[in-house]
Amino acid sequence: MPTPIPSPDLVIAAPEALDSATRGFWAETWVRFKRRRLALLALAYVCFLAIVAIFAPAIAGTKPVVCKYKGHLYFPALGYLNSKWENPVFYTDRFRRIYPENLKAKDPESWAIWPLVYQDPYRRVREGEWPDQPGNPTGVEGVPSQYNRLGTDQSGKDVFAQMVHGTRIAMLVGFVSMGISAVIGIGIGATAGYFGGWIDTLLSRVIELVMCIPALVLILALIAILEKTTIWHLMVILGATGWTGIARLTRAEFLKLKHIDYVLAARALGVGRFRIMFRHVLRNALAPIVVPITFGIASAIITESALSFLGFGADPPNPSWGTLLNAGRTTIEQTWWLVLFPGLAIFFTVLAYNLIGEGLQEATDPRLREAGK
Amino acid sequence: MLSFLIRRTFIGLITLLLITFVVYGLVRNMPGTPLTVAAAESDPSKTLSDEDLERLNKIYGLDKHWTQAYFIWIGNVAKLDLGRSISRKQPVTKLIRDRVSATLILSVTSLILTYMLSIPIGLRATVRSGSLEERSISTVLYMLYSLPAFVAALFLQILIAVKLGWLPLMGIVSDDYETMSLIGKAWDICLHAFMPVMCFTYGSLAYYSRFIKSNMEEVIRQDYIRTAKAKGVHPTNIVLHHAFRNTLIPLVTMLGLTLPGLLGGAILLEQIFQWPGMGRLFFEALSGRDYPTIMGLVLMFSFLTLLGQLLADVFYAFVDPRVSLS
Repeated sequence: MPTPIPSPDLVIAAPEALDSATRGFWAETWVRFKRRRLALLALAYVCFLAIVAIFAPAIAGTKPVVCKYKGHLYFPALGYLNSKWENPVFYTDRFRRIYPENLKAKDPESWAIWPLVYQDPYRRVREGEWPDQPGNPTGVEGVPSQYNRLGTDQSGKDVFAQMVHGTRIAMLVGFVSMGISAVIGIGIGATAGYFGGWIDTLLSRVIELVMCIPALVLILALIAILEKTTIWHLMVILGATGWTGIARLTRAEFLKLKHIDYVLAARALGVGRFRIMFRHVLRNALAPIVVPITFGIASAIITESALSFLGFGADPPNPSWGTLLNAGRTTIEQTWWLVLFPGLAIFFTVLAYNLIGEGLQEATDPRLREAGK
Repeated sequence: MLSFLIRRTFIGLITLLLITFVVYGLVRNMPGTPLTVAAAESDPSKTLSDEDLERLNKIYGLDKHWTQAYFIWIGNVAKLDLGRSISRKQPVTKLIRDRVSATLILSVTSLILTYMLSIPIGLRATVRSGSLEERSISTVLYMLYSLPAFVAALFLQILIAVKLGWLPLMGIVSDDYETMSLIGKAWDICLHAFMPVMCFTYGSLAYYSRFIKSNMEEVIRQDYIRTAKAKGVHPTNIVLHHAFRNTLIPLVTMLGLTLPGLLGGAILLEQIFQWPGMGRLFFEALSGRDYPTIMGLVLMFSFLTLLGQLLADVFYAFVDPRVSLS
């Protein structure tokens, strides 16, 4: 992904003089970042998404967040995060995933705190499951209504519930795959840049090679080799294919920084190579590397939803935003809600990460800092 | 210059060999072969008998280990023979030739549009820097830049094709294309191409405009601009002749890098609009495990990528006398 060119005029000029000598680099960056209202708004939006992702089972679900059943407290909603966390007692008592009537029928003393919206991302809610709530419409009938605020998909699953649970996928994909990319990219780039010589030549060829192989071939081939693709596999694959840009940048920074006096001083003191690389050089190279990582999170989210959209995402059930788009495309002439809402979610998330990246770029780049003063 | 070109060509050839080797290994090790995938798709009960499978494997050289098959393939490529598609029973070169025009319609139109629109937008944004107009242009461009093309394509389809009914939803021609007059045929393709071209264009338009603007911002602070101003040169003249000409260097360089994109098409967009171009061919070949077609396309894409990078470097030395290639 090409890095967006920052527009210096978006920087909000600071009238007050700064006593920057008293602040560290990252504190200084934060002060500068805070001045950009849009970047702050984007950061708030990402935090909001993170909260939605963590509390998704409590926002939309058909399993109680907390319930008292036969004298014990249970948290069945955790089953949405990991199926092992749902207590097996509900399987042995034949709940068949329908909690409301079974809780009352099997233990009249029981009580439960329910999620805000009684809808499930993995199955259709049927008639009579929840008081005064009809069954979800199926096919192309699932227009947004008071029971399904954002409509339902063809199989009658609620779109709002899927989107809330899909937030978790989007957030995880962004952070985990970019985290993997960053580790690989920084590792390879730092080694190539610091050691130079034939190591550099070899690693540069490897970087170029991975860059030139069409990303889709690489990703699809890796997915096809796996027997069952979970979302975690997908994140590893995205991470393993998306590190080249970071590696090149890290290499360039290391080539520049390794000749600076403090490296020589550290070497004269007998500091080990890896300590110099990752404690001294990397710390100074981090600012220009963090910016493409932020943009990379945005492009990882795009890639994941594009793969799910093509039908190559994680195996179902996979309530990714891209899966919803794919469902919407098959009946695009009738089901506009299946395209509009997940599409907007992807757009705003990508926009937010790009804005944060741009904010960071302007906060850390000394050339642009001058323009801000 | 000559030694530079020779060295780059040599390195490029080695990179090409490596890329094709790795991709060949990857696609041959994907589960399923063109024969089993095709049979399973048409009718699950009608799988090939073992003898038939073995016979066909032999014909297509699938019985050999992939490294051995790779060297046979690369030997044929050296003789300019890309082989025959397994699932389509046609030479790969013919398949590519059939599909390339559809992709070129989209990519060339979009490239011309991008340059024609982004230069005036970028210049206007520089001149009006800081005004409300410039801020709104920048914001809209930034939002467009962040909108993934496949999301935009679906939104456009719903708005223009489904709700308003102005343009056809997908495909490249209407059903009654054969009965149309020549002008009618051209118009029909134009109508079908409109939405894909928009989706191809808006992202690069946003990127280029911002690129031009940020380059202009840098140039406009230079001393020679101040000199021109002091001489009393007309402001339009300063922007067009003194400033813009100096931002042309990176712009020309970028032209070289767009080369693979021109022929590569876009897999997602062509899939959404059912556009019979290179992207779809690639996608179909990948899902059908059609090894010769995949390899032909990969070879073409990587060749163009490397050629584009080389051209960018040569252009750069050509337009900027300060850069020398030796």
